[in-house]
Amino acid sequence: MRQVDLTAEETSAIAGWSAESRRRAEEILSLYPEKRSAVMPLLYISMIENAYVTADGMRQVGVLTGLSPAQVQSVASFYTMYKREPVGKYLVGVCTSISCFLLGADDVLAAIEDESGVPDGETGSDGVLSVEHVECNGACGGAPVVLVNWEMIESVTPEKARELVKWLRDGQPEVANTEEMQQLFGGERSFDWGIKEPEGAILPVPAFGPYGSVGEDS
Amino acid sequence: MSERELVTITIDGVEMQGPAGEVLIKVAQDNGNFIPRFCWHPRMKSVGMCRMCLVEVQGPRGPMLLPSCTTRVNDGMEVDTQSAVVKKAQEGVLEYLLINHPLDCPVCDKGGECPLQDHTIAYGPGESRFVEEKRHYEKPIPISDLVLLDRERCILCARCTRFSEEISGDPLIEFKDRGNAVQVITFPDEPFSSYFSGNTVQICPVGALTAVPYRFKARPWDLEAVESVSMVDSVGSKVSVQSSQNTVVRIDGIDNDPTNQGWLSDKDRFIFESIHSEHRLTKPLIKEDGAFREATWGEALDLVGERLAGYTGESVAGLGGANNTNEEAFAFGKFLRTIVVTPHIDAQLDDGLDPHFLIGVTPRASIPDLETAATILLWAGDLKEEYPVLYLRVRRAAAELGANLIVVHPRRTGLDDVATHKIRYQPGRGPDVLREIAAGAGDYEDVKTALAGGPVVAIVGRTGLGEDPRLAEAVAAFARDLPGGKILPLARRGNIVGALDMGLAPTLLPGRVSESTAHDLLEAEWGPLPETRGRGSSGVLEGLRDGDLKALIMLGTDPVRDHADPEAAAAGLAAAEFVVALDHFHTDSTEMADVVLPVHGFGEVEGSVTNTEGRVQKVNRLVPGPGQTRPAWSVLDDLARRMGGDLGAVSAETLAKEIERVAPAYHGVTWDTLDWGSGREGLVLPVEDGVQHLEYIPVDDGLSSSTARYGLHLGRVLYDDGVRVRMSPSLAALAPEAYVFLNAEDAADLDLASDDQVVVEGEYGSVELPVAIDNSLGKGTVYVPANLSATRNLGAAVAVVLSKVESS
Repeated sequence: MRQVDLTAEETSAIAGWSAESRRRAEEILSLYPEKRSAVMPLLYISMIENAYVTADGMRQVGVLTGLSPAQVQSVASFYTMYKREPVGKYLVGVCTSISCFLLGADDVLAAIEDESGVPDGETGSDGVLSVEHVECNGACGGAPVVLVNWEMIESVTPEKARELVKWLRDGQPEVANTEEMQQLFGGERSFDWGIKEPEGAILPVPAFGPYGSVGEDS
Repeated sequence: MSERELVTITIDGVEMQGPAGEVLIKVAQDNGNFIPRFCWHPRMKSVGMCRMCLVEVQGPRGPMLLPSCTTRVNDGMEVDTQSAVVKKAQEGVLEYLLINHPLDCPVCDKGGECPLQDHTIAYGPGESRFVEEKRHYEKPIPISDLVLLDRERCILCARCTRFSEEISGDPLIEFKDRGNAVQVITFPDEPFSSYFSGNTVQICPVGALTAVPYRFKARPWDLEAVESVSMVDSVGSKVSVQSSQNTVVRIDGIDNDPTNQGWLSDKDRFIFESIHSEHRLTKPLIKEDGAFREATWGEALDLVGERLAGYTGESVAGLGGANNTNEEAFAFGKFLRTIVVTPHIDAQLDDGLDPHFLIGVTPRASIPDLETAATILLWAGDLKEEYPVLYLRVRRAAAELGANLIVVHPRRTGLDDVATHKIRYQPGRGPDVLREIAAGAGDYEDVKTALAGGPVVAIVGRTGLGEDPRLAEAVAAFARDLPGGKILPLARRGNIVGALDMGLAPTLLPGRVSESTAHDLLEAEWGPLPETRGRGSSGVLEGLRDGDLKALIMLGTDPVRDHADPEAAAAGLAAAEFVVALDHFHTDSTEMADVVLPVHGFGEVEGSVTNTEGRVQKVNRLVPGPGQTRPAWSVLDDLARRMGGDLGAVSAETLAKEIERVAPAYHGVTWDTLDWGSGREGLVLPVEDGVQHLEYIPVDDGLSSSTARYGLHLGRVLYDDGVRVRMSPSLAALAPEAYVFLNAEDAADLDLASDDQVVVEGEYGSVELPVAIDNSLGKGTVYVPANLSATRNLGAAVAVVLSKVESS
């Protein structure tokens, strides 16, 4: 790992970030020989800081990586997991790719839309829930799959999906934890996922160590 | 660049050779086989995005369909570009591209010269199976003040985005989104305000990017065009000047390998608007009772001839010629030396370098030397602002070809991001910095090590207008002793080197020779020449002020605006008994003249020009001058006759022939050679051949550093308040706002915050401007952009005093 010393310009660009995010940004930058390679993980950090990928966030990442804002925007707009509009506290994704589709994902999505009142691709006016359909998450054995802040629940029925929406809306848990949600709303799991995952997501950002998820790094 | 090994390949049954590792499409093109393409461009890296260049290559498992822009040639490669499979692939690609491409060719600027249109006719399927609705976007959106983007037409070839990243280094446009929604776009609040944006319009293979100044002005098949050379700066970029109905409507870049390689700055490209400005002078003007009135040519020339004949030759001076062709400059010099008989001649305004150094420094580097340089020492103005096309060449050398780039400048420059070493210093302290670099002590140890790696090309010029010109010579004296050291001196104005080559300096005669050595030889041709030593521009202005000189002839020059000491220049012109100006526009100086004669300019004259390397190229005539304008050489010839002499100038070409005969360095340079012969890429004239040629060995004459608390960096910006920019509406709007730039520490010392008013006072004048913080400046450095309307009264001082203006 290289030691990274941020320049004055870089430091001032992210002066508004939390101390923890600034530390993580430095850590991420130190992983890559070329600064621009860090653009994707840094976009998640900026998403944590600004709730979504804002114009300022893209500019900040641009300063850190030596890219122009237009280049950062190019990356941020290519990937659907970088949200460029405000997202609810819980991002509920329903996989509608082939296996989940065959096992009733459309009904699950319809149940979630109906129960939450939030149409696919939108965010509720109270800012609690966002609903979207997503592409394959690689858990075809546990179809249909629903994700809350990228924490996975397998073999979800439309009825359980409604319960999930109520649980999120009324309880508003701090942490979306896959183990807990699987027990409450899931059915059969496809297989033992093996490596220990962090213990849940607190934001619509994937729960990996660098982004400040709850719990231990795997 | 080492010569690459040649390999032999077979394309469509024809054997041809190309360098190993070169892409197939390039080898085919160089051998006369054009493979259709949209995304591939010979000056950019391959991306294989458009798939138009698919060809069949014989592989171990039979013929493979491969994009020829990403396939590198191997010995024995067999290629078929005409097979049924290739044709089907081409038809498929075009059918796909036309799914979303609108068929608005009749109202598209590109229609008639559009690669997509042409390829569709040549390789397309003839009909489409697509019956659904095409994708729609808002029709053109401005992505900068100069460029419009029509996203419906875009075929996503990435030429523009690659240009902005690879070539110009300002990636302000990029792809956004993906799938069916992909579009090229800027960041929301960052327009594509690149100095090079016009190039993307030129290389766009469809009409997605169009230029505001050309939009809807003409159809390509109605255009008449000539090859010419941009005279905006001294790089000598090759251009195609294009007109419709006798009006220049467009300038495009031409790929001339040694100079611009096809690229232009937006200033080169859009300055043509000034040619047809309504403010052009179109009739001779005579001043009576303090006001100009229109006159006939006969009346004006009679008056000028009569007045000039009334003075002894040595009480008359001539300034200018740097924005003219060599032929016009030559006629000007001959007129002054043989008809007026005065030695007081200067094309520069003490804002450049020593003329002998500029045209005679040895060993002299050419621009192509940058391709092979291991180390480039750049100690000159900010190339991006002053010589944008040379900036592209240096950027390429550093970013693509791996040269070490050492930038020495008072402030950040456009090349800092590709520089291996950046040295910033307070203006006036240059000599100390040079000595420290030469000693290689402390911080400069790495720099010295880099400079030990040859060949070294040193690009030298004045970093700012106040910088002592001898510093450039001291740098050159240092650099020529480095391994393989060569010097590329930078001339300020368009054809300054040409003007000096034509003898427009007190101590030079035509043909890159000094007065002292060639005086007698030229007298044999021209008759008696003035015997006394001439004055330079400062001396001329001083002489006019003191009454030693009585009259002044100006050819396309504006000393009141451009001289280091504007007040002294104005005082000189005011004190002169008689001033005549040959120009295109009224300037601060022509306003003070007694007679103003309107002359032809760029696009209206044929002749040769010489760039900062000493490369002679041809400019051509395309349109007639407006109103009663005449060529400058013809005006001078008429004046000569009225004064009882004869310039022998029947046409510009007769002058060119005389130059070829009497100017030693121009022997063998004829218009035919430049237009059709070996001179099409320009002829770089030998400096060291022959006894008469000027050879200038720079020396470090021990210049001492300034000890002022604040050193002024008066640096040029691309879009300044110069007359041609001002008269080009599209460019005039781009001139930046004027500020006094200081680093935060100096500002705090002076109790100044951003936008506080401050007075900067130097030797020649003062200005009051708002403050802006620029931490790329070292402590004690004050940066003011030169020649903006708000900064022009400052004058080119080095040491300045700052004082805060208390708000009332």
